Order: sequence, then structure tokens, then C-alpha cells
Amino acid sequence: MTISRLISRSMLKNMRHYFLYFFSLIFSVTLYFSFVTLQFNDEVLKQVSNSPTAATGFKVASYLLYFIVLFFVLYANHLFTKRRSKEIGMYQLIGMTKGLIFRLIAAENIVLFSGAVLIGIITGLLSSRFFTMVLMKVLEQEALVQLTFDSKAIIQTIMLFSVMLIVILVQLSWMIRRVSLLSLFTASKQTEERVKRFSVWQMLIGALGLVLIGWGYYESTQLFASNQADRILINMLLILALTIGGAFLVFRYSVSFIFNLRRLSKNGHLTATDVLAVTPIMHRMKGNAKSLTLITVLTAVSLAISTLSYIAYYSGEKSVKTAVPADYVLTTDKGPAFLELLNQQGIDYRAVTYEDIYVDFNVSSLLKNAADMQELFYAEESTKRLLSQSTYEQLKGKIELQEDEAFITNMSGYVSKLYEFNKQGQIEVTIDSLDTRLNDTLKIVDVKEESTLAHNGSMGVIYAVLVVSDQKYAQYKEFYGNRHRVPQTLVFLENKNDVAKAEELYEQSGADIREIIGEGEKQIIRKQNSYKQEWQDYMNIFGMTIFIAAFLGLAFLLTTGSILYFKQIAEADEEQASYTTLRKIGFSEQDILKGIVWKQVFNFGVPLLIGLLHSYFAVKSGWFLFGTELVVPMLIMMGLYILMYMVFMLLAIQYYKKVIKSSLS
Amino acid sequence: MMNILTARKVRKTYGKRLTAVEVLKGIDLEVSKGEFVGIMGPSGSGKTTLLNVLCSIDHVTEGIVEINGQILQEMKERQLAAFRRDALGFIFQDYNLLDTLTVKENILLPLAIKKVPHKAAEQRFQELVEVLRIEDIVAKYPNEISGGQKQRTSAARALITNPSIVFADEPTGALDSKSATALLKNLEQINQQRNVTIMMVTHDAVAASFCSRVLFLKDGALYTELYKGDKTRQEFFQQILSTQSVLGGDGYDD
Repeated sequence: MTISRLISRSMLKNMRHYFLYFFSLIFSVTLYFSFVTLQFNDEVLKQVSNSPTAATGFKVASYLLYFIVLFFVLYANHLFTKRRSKEIGMYQLIGMTKGLIFRLIAAENIVLFSGAVLIGIITGLLSSRFFTMVLMKVLEQEALVQLTFDSKAIIQTIMLFSVMLIVILVQLSWMIRRVSLLSLFTASKQTEERVKRFSVWQMLIGALGLVLIGWGYYESTQLFASNQADRILINMLLILALTIGGAFLVFRYSVSFIFNLRRLSKNGHLTATDVLAVTPIMHRMKGNAKSLTLITVLTAVSLAISTLSYIAYYSGEKSVKTAVPADYVLTTDKGPAFLELLNQQGIDYRAVTYEDIYVDFNVSSLLKNAADMQELFYAEESTKRLLSQSTYEQLKGKIELQEDEAFITNMSGYVSKLYEFNKQGQIEVTIDSLDTRLNDTLKIVDVKEESTLAHNGSMGVIYAVLVVSDQKYAQYKEFYGNRHRVPQTLVFLENKNDVAKAEELYEQSGADIREIIGEGEKQIIRKQNSYKQEWQDYMNIFGMTIFIAAFLGLAFLLTTGSILYFKQIAEADEEQASYTTLRKIGFSEQDILKGIVWKQVFNFGVPLLIGLLHSYFAVKSGWFLFGTELVVPMLIMMGLYILMYMVFMLLAIQYYKKVIKSSLS
Repeated sequence: MMNILTARKVRKTYGKRLTAVEVLKGIDLEVSKGEFVGIMGPSGSGKTTLLNVLCSIDHVTEGIVEINGQILQEMKERQLAAFRRDALGFIFQDYNLLDTLTVKENILLPLAIKKVPHKAAEQRFQELVEVLRIEDIVAKYPNEISGGQKQRTSAARALITNPSIVFADEPTGALDSKSATALLKNLEQINQQRNVTIMMVTHDAVAASFCSRVLFLKDGALYTELYKGDKTRQEFFQQILSTQSVLGGDGYDD
């Protein structure tokens, strides 16, 4: 028999085993190719050119994606070659040299890779169009997406997968060299663990794992605490080491320890679940600890990345609203012209006008923790806007306020997340007239985070606005004097369909220009964005980042899920003999399946659970840098992950079902 | 005497119509309570197939098998599993112990899906390990003990549920002669003292000589049967050997 016939025969024979490996290869190529295609897409390039960070982000992401894919393919290859170690041994037994066997399997892999790259590129062409459409949707660009066929993307994909093939071949030659004839006779029993007696040490190490994770979580809550600002990098590394190391110890020791306690307490009288879930898990824990840790970490990282980016996306509306709380903000004397144009075009709107008055007050007296005052560098009195009760009511609805009472609104920005403020208290207010100053003490009855007014462009950290009773307002205003400032107007369109028309009028009227500084070449035009313009600016900056992060998160998720699934497939095949025994002595398929379901819950659930916890603390420590909403985006993201893992789990259970069914026939 | 097992016109065919191979060609068989029945025959005569269809692991193509008055062919897969669990015991050539469980856990395995009070189970376990002389290894794992010990563990597992009948497929096939003899003496003892019905497939005349009756299969049909009666084991052994030589030996197809 010639080599080529041997190859084609063994490939046909192994079709079932190959199928998954082949499929994961195609999947990897598709993912990578569609991402690279995206990178070269004209529409995307146009968007990317707006923001240089997105361009670098794309580059970094494509490397990261390559490593995810490489890791994934290496793992899959390792798993599938291991399954064939008996076959490799058999070839040796009939006198083939290891070199010949290597060439045989290498040839198979070359055929598989070529096929996978070809199919992957074709599916990638289709899916990249889908991804581009998603990206454009995220960016709110209504561009028609062309199906681009970029030779650069194809060349890059082929090159990188050729490199990957070489890496795979190196791995193969290493694995073949390791297979000894002896392994033919001693079935795969390398990863067994004897857990007869548990030493105190192992118990302590197991407990230590939990302590390390707890410590890591504690540190993460302190990461952005004000008194540790200079040690952030060190603390980050510490947290990483603690949580990863802790997870490893938990998998390596704690799990076996807990299970062993359960087992010892049974004194041999195990239940079906013990036999099918607990003991096989214990049995494999030594070998599985490393990969489960890795999967946990990958899950945590990807979940954290996707949650943070989703927080940024989800909070977009809110943070745009903080900057522009109405459809239009009129700050110049061109304002009335704009309103006039709106009237002419018959566009319904509601306008609230307020005077441009500022007072000084200090929010530090409201701090819950007095020690924070040291840190609050902007706690020194700063100028903040004043609003009367009646104006506020026009914007937000009715409120109750006594004469010497006041409340603070617009208390947004991450400062209010970093420090806790009392909702009640007293503040000192200072009003400067042109030559004298008035001091007053007001009783604060509430502090609201809502966005009420536009901040005036100079980005303060606290945009707080003081709302006082109409009597006080009149008094302060009189003292403040007339400074010839243009009153500001917030314009709300009654009908959102008018936005496109109103945008034109806004620019036409010139109300969008706040001020023009300098002349000629050095002229700087400071604009007052409308809500829609602000939203587009926001999306130009964050949309691409969000998209890339989501893409990577998806790649991570599919990778870890697939690896867990492949592991279970391998385990199912290895344990088929046990199911035969169990069925012969009277376990029904359902009895066995019940235990298997528990095993799956453990195998998928524990990495997911620890991953969820890790990512929860990771996200919690720094989420406010990305947006203003935590709970909803996080729950949605976590729910999505749990759902995807469940799908993989159900697939694994389905496979077990097949194996159990065929174990006795 | 009461029949534990009755088989009527059992046929078993493998393969599709054109390439069908008839392995069992209509076998009638009765086993009474307390018998120790051996099944012998050359390779390919259908010994193991017969055992598999009798013990419900494989389906017959035609005919019926009745154990304890229940007809296997009328039961659903789930009922069969429960029946195997409650009424049958199994000993296999390659032990079929789970590597992940200790000897004790392996022996108590059939009770994992059966509601048996721990106290009763523990008592029965102690009795069995004493009879089978495996008291010292109950905390060990299968790959830490010898083949003979594994097979005795397997026997203890088969007996823990108090089955009506125990099926053994070449139980001594992988054992050295000393371990094999020890195991067979154990089985004989359990058969005689506890009145446990045993059915054993073997190709070894020494093993067969421990039985009370030996059936000979040839080409899928019952060829003859020998009763031990009052004969000594040595005499019975000689008789088995001579029958075997008539049958054309063992292990070689002619």
C-alpha cells in the first residue's frame, strides 16, 4: 500500500474524529479572516481614519485574535492527536519508523489545513459582510456595505495559517516522539490521582486557594481607592496573580478535597451521581487543573472586556445626555434665530430658558467620609451654576422646597462614584457681585445624579448645579447684578422625526457656534453640539473600541466553550467502557445520564462561576472609567455568557447520550 | 425442581439478509435453581453470544428467554436494566471494574441505584469479602491489586445484590492457574453453601470440572451435555476432555 493510499484510507476511517477538528479549524479561519477583511474594508477604513486609537486597536486586536486562534487550534490538535495515540503505536508495532508516521500525519494535517483555509475564507467572506454591517450599525452609519474581496486579507490569512501549520507540525512531531510502544498496553492512565488519604498539607493548600481568591477580590475593590493611586500597576499585577493562582489551587486541591470529604463520609455506599460525576472528576482533577484554570481566566478576561465595552455602549446615551441634556442647547445670541427658523418650518418644540448665573459652594461638607476631603482636589470652592426652583420644575417636574432649602442636581461624573456624598447637610454659598460678596448658609435636602443642564465646555469634574427656592434666587440674582450674559435655552423637539430638518436649521442659524477664538489660520471654532452631533462624536470615539472588544469577547467565548466541549467528548469516549460495565450490571441509560448531567454542570459551571466572579470584581473595580451604568449591562453580558455555556453544555450532554446509548448494543 | 432460566428456540443472526450469519440455531435450555452450569465449545460455536442473549445484554433474533418467570423479550430497555440490577449478577473475563472507584466502592456499585439500607448492605459486603478473602484490599484501587483479586472483587460485586442467577463469561480466562483455581473454589463454595445459581462460559476443562452440568455447543447448536452426578472432579474432568476431543478441540477452527 502506498503512503498516499494509507493517508486517504485512514482519513476516511477517522472522518468522525476529524470532523470536529476540521470544523474548529474552519471556524478559526472564518473568524480570523472576517476580522482581517473588516480591517481592510473601505467603509471601515474611513471610520477608522477618524480616530487613530481605533486603528491601533484594530492592529492589536488582530494579533490578540491570532493568539486566541493559535491557542485554540494547538489545543484541539493536541486533543485529537492524543486520541489517536493507539493508532500511532499500532503503526510503530507493524514496523513503521516514527519519521514515516510523522510524514503520514503531517500530510493529513496539510490536507486538512488547506481545506479549512479554503472553506474558512469563503465563509469568512460572507460573515465579514455581516460583521461590517454590525459595525456600521454600532457606529450609526447608514453606509451600504460592499462585499469586498481583498487580496491583502487573503494573503495575510494564508500566511498566518501557514505559520500555524508549522507550529502544529512541530507539536505533532513532539507528540509522536513521546508516544512509546508501552503506552499501547497501559491505556491512558497518566492523569490518575490517588486520593486515599488527604494530608493536612493538601487541605491547607486547598484552603489557601480560597483565601488567595478572596484576598484578590478584596484588593480589587481597593484598586482605585484614593490612597493607593501610586501603586495601581503593582496592585493590578498582585490581583492577577492572586486570582489566577487561587483558581489553580482551587481546581487542583480544593475540589478534590471537598469531593473526598463527601466520598469518605459515604464509606463506600456511593450514589449513582457519585459514581458518574464525583469520582471521575476527582480522578481527572490533577490533569485538568491547568486547563480549567486557563479556561476560567480566559472566561473572566473576555467577560470583563465585553462587559466593560458594553457598559461604555450602554452608558453612551447617559453620558451624551450629561453633556447635552436637550436636543439643542442655545448659548449665543444666534439662539432666537434658530427658534425663529423652527417656527417658520412648523416644527413643534419646547424651550426652557434660564439665566447664566454662578455661585460658589463647596461639596466637601457633604462627603460621607471626612478623610476623603484630602483627596478631593477639586473640593476647593469652585464656581457652579445656579437655578431657580421654578425653572427646574419646567425641566424635571414639581418639587417641594422651603425658602432656605436647596438641593444639588447634575451630580454626575465619576467623582460621585468614587466618593460617597450625604444627601442631606449644610453648605456655605458665596455670591460674588462685581465688588462685594454675599455669604449664605443653605440646608441641602437632596443630591441628584440626573443630568439637568449642559456644562459649559470647560470640563469640570463636578458639574453640580445648585437649585434654590425662587425667593433666594431673586435675592442672589439681584446681588449678582446684571452682567449682560446671554440667557441659555434648552430646546426639546416634540417630534423626533423632525431631527434631520432641525439639524440643518441649527447649522444654518449659526447657533451651533459657541465662540470663535482668533482669526485666519489660527482660528478655533468652539461648537455647541446638538444631542445628535454629540452622540455621533461619542460613537466615533467608542464605537470602534466597543465593536473590537465585543468581537474579541465572542472569539474568546467560542474558544473556551469549544475547548470545554472537546474535552468532554474525549472524556466520554474514554469512559465508554465504564458505561458498558454499568449498563451490564443494571444501570439504565437514564441513571447514567443523570450522573453525567451533574458532571457537565460541574465541568462547565465551575469555570463559568469562578470566571463570572473574577470578572465581576474586575469590572466592579474600574467600570466607572467606561460609563455610568453598571448593573444592567453586566447582568445582560453575564446572562449571555451563561446562555452560551449552557448551549455548549447541552451539546456535550447530547454527545454523552450517544456514547451511553452505543455502549451496550 | 424450579426452573430459574428457560430458553426456547433461541436464534441469533448477525448482519443483513444477504450476508447474514446464523450464530445460534435454535437452542432450548433449562436451568434449575442451585445449578452450576458450564457452557463449552470451540471458538465460534456461539458460547458468548448464547450467554449474552440469556442475560439480556444482547437481543435474540427469534425465540424467548424466561428468567424467574419473566420473559425478557417482552420487557422494555428500561425494565431490562432494572431486571439486570435486581435479579442478575455478572462476572466478566476482563473484570470490568471502574478504575476511579476503590474495591469497596466497586463492590457496592450495583446498590448505588437500588434502595438498600446501609446497614444491610454493609453486612452483606462484610460476608462476601470474607468468603472471597479480599478483606485486606477493600480500600485499594483496581490497578493496585492482582488479576485474581480483581476477579474476586468482580464476583463480590455480582453477588452483592443477591441475584437469582450469576452469569460468568470466561471468568478465569485472564488468570494464572493458581488464582483461577482459588476463584473457582470460591464460586463452587458459594454455589453449594448459598444455593446461588451460576452459569459460566469457559473454554478451560479444569474450570468446567467445577460445574454440576456442562453444555457443549457446536456451530450454534447444542451438541451434548454432561452431568457431574457423583463423579469426582478428576473423573468429570476426564469426561469433559474426551467430549472436547470428539468436538474437535478448542481454540482452533477446523
